[in-house]
Amino acid sequence: MALLEIEHVTKDFGGLEALHDVSMSVDRGEIVSLIGPNGAGKTTLFNCITGTMPPSAGRITFEGRSLVDLAPYEIAARGVKRTFQHIRLFDQMTVLENVMVGNDHQGRTGIFSALLRPPWVSREERTNRRKSIEVLSLFGERLLPRLDQQARMLSYANRRRVEIARALVSGPKLLLFDEPTAGMNPHETQGIVDLIRLIRDRGHAILVIEHKMKVVMTVSDRIVVLDHGEKIAEGPPQAIARNQEVINAYMGKRRAGID
Amino acid sequence: MPRALRSILANLPYIGLLALALALPSLLGNAYYIQVAIFIGIYIILVLSLNLLNGYIGLLSIGHAAFYGIGAYASAKLMMEAGLPFILAMPAAGLISAAFGYLIAKPTLKLSGIYLTLATLGFNMILFLVLQSWMSFTNGPLGIMGIPQPSLFGREISSRPQYYYLILALVLLTLFSMQRLLNCRFGRALLAIREDQLAAEAMGIHAARYKIQAFVLAAFYAGIAGSFYAHFVKFISPDSFYIYESFILLAMLALGGQGNLVGPMVGAAVLVLIPELFRFLQEYRMIVYGSVLIVMMLVRRQGLLGGKNYSLRLTWFDPPAEKKYYRGDKFLPEE
Repeated sequence: MALLEIEHVTKDFGGLEALHDVSMSVDRGEIVSLIGPNGAGKTTLFNCITGTMPPSAGRITFEGRSLVDLAPYEIAARGVKRTFQHIRLFDQMTVLENVMVGNDHQGRTGIFSALLRPPWVSREERTNRRKSIEVLSLFGERLLPRLDQQARMLSYANRRRVEIARALVSGPKLLLFDEPTAGMNPHETQGIVDLIRLIRDRGHAILVIEHKMKVVMTVSDRIVVLDHGEKIAEGPPQAIARNQEVINAYMGKRRAGID
Repeated sequence: MPRALRSILANLPYIGLLALALALPSLLGNAYYIQVAIFIGIYIILVLSLNLLNGYIGLLSIGHAAFYGIGAYASAKLMMEAGLPFILAMPAAGLISAAFGYLIAKPTLKLSGIYLTLATLGFNMILFLVLQSWMSFTNGPLGIMGIPQPSLFGREISSRPQYYYLILALVLLTLFSMQRLLNCRFGRALLAIREDQLAAEAMGIHAARYKIQAFVLAAFYAGIAGSFYAHFVKFISPDSFYIYESFILLAMLALGGQGNLVGPMVGAAVLVLIPELFRFLQEYRMIVYGSVLIVMMLVRRQGLLGGKNYSLRLTWFDPPAEKKYYRGDKFLPEE
């Protein structure tokens, strides 16, 4: 059975169907891309998976257990982490703290243990710190000299990187990236592509929304195409590139007689 | 350099401040000055506790004096009628106040932003009305008189310097405990919720639980401050815990700056001192008070010390994590 199974999911915003009967799956160690024109329902599908907006109908199961009706924090704790289309960092916290928050749900320090500080509390803190620095070192020299800088001071690309590190640090089984390369130059984009592959090779499954076709075609094991809230195609990159329906959705239908 | 010496050097500013605080009663001499210092202490605890909500988790509470009042009445009642010794009455007052914090937080958490704020205001007003109308229990607007002096370990606390040292100990305990709470997973969760609740929840933070915990903690500290106030002034009446008092706390927080532990202390000290310093202006001193706030909002909106994080880490209690920087392809310890 696949890691993430989405079956007949419909999301209804008071009569407007943002998603209609969408079914798809993500397997362990797989990179699946979700593409489609603006307003196709890609981010809505992410919100359904992560519990931000529960689906109106349909089933979403992760490791065989339903995610519908779980709160976002419970879904995150099960091992599903995401990044956002518009970067959402904790701006006034430092880079290191931002990433440590991503790992905190695995800790157990509460009010009383924080006050009394038994030895395991500082051990937990040290482990978290070390793990966070390790993840940030995936980006080489980019973030390591900036550990104690506030996140709002960072450049756009570095903010994206911190967001990815924050999602990655707890070792989630499934990562949802919402346009991870938006606003990045070709060199930085290549860096993210390499990183996504590296993450996959470490055994995480990845579902990624992406607009840059070059990225989609090189990185994906499988592509799912949404248009107007419906899945119109699914398959390996080469097949999708030739699929007439996908081309129509992206380019608009040509009227008969003109071509 | 031996470790002990290094710790002493690193903590030198704190040691200096502590020495100053300890010597203050003899430096001031005058009982009136010491009384002002004691009030600064009470307000420091109150503003620090409000700071947990407004500054750290980002819940705007404008009815904080309610918890202050609950602590004061609870402590007075427990000592006068239940016959509890002070050393038990004070924490019990804190716990009772914390229980009310839980009762308020639990149902109002579904509210967000301005609605939650209005709920805290409403709670403050209801409490005021209850204190004023429940004659048999609170003695209404006449208040409770003759609240007994505190005694600790068989020693009566009666003189101003003795009260001063008691409030100093409470302020230090507050700082020490808050510093521990905030410099770990718990504190990070509060900040993350303030900065972006949606992202915090997507990272696995149970925001509702932390909000309740923050409310309970803030109410507890305020209750402790209320208990001290009751036994210091020895007379409490509903007027001391009216919304006006909540707004003073908010003004102190706004002036000093929120989201760290130093700003609230500065704000409390300045706004206790201003009315006292300008006492010669009589009625007009409130104009000075108001003007200071207006000018602050125009010139420095984040408060005197806002927007920054001041580490109050004492290296004796919490040795700072070893810093490592990345050079080339290796982690190197800090030079």
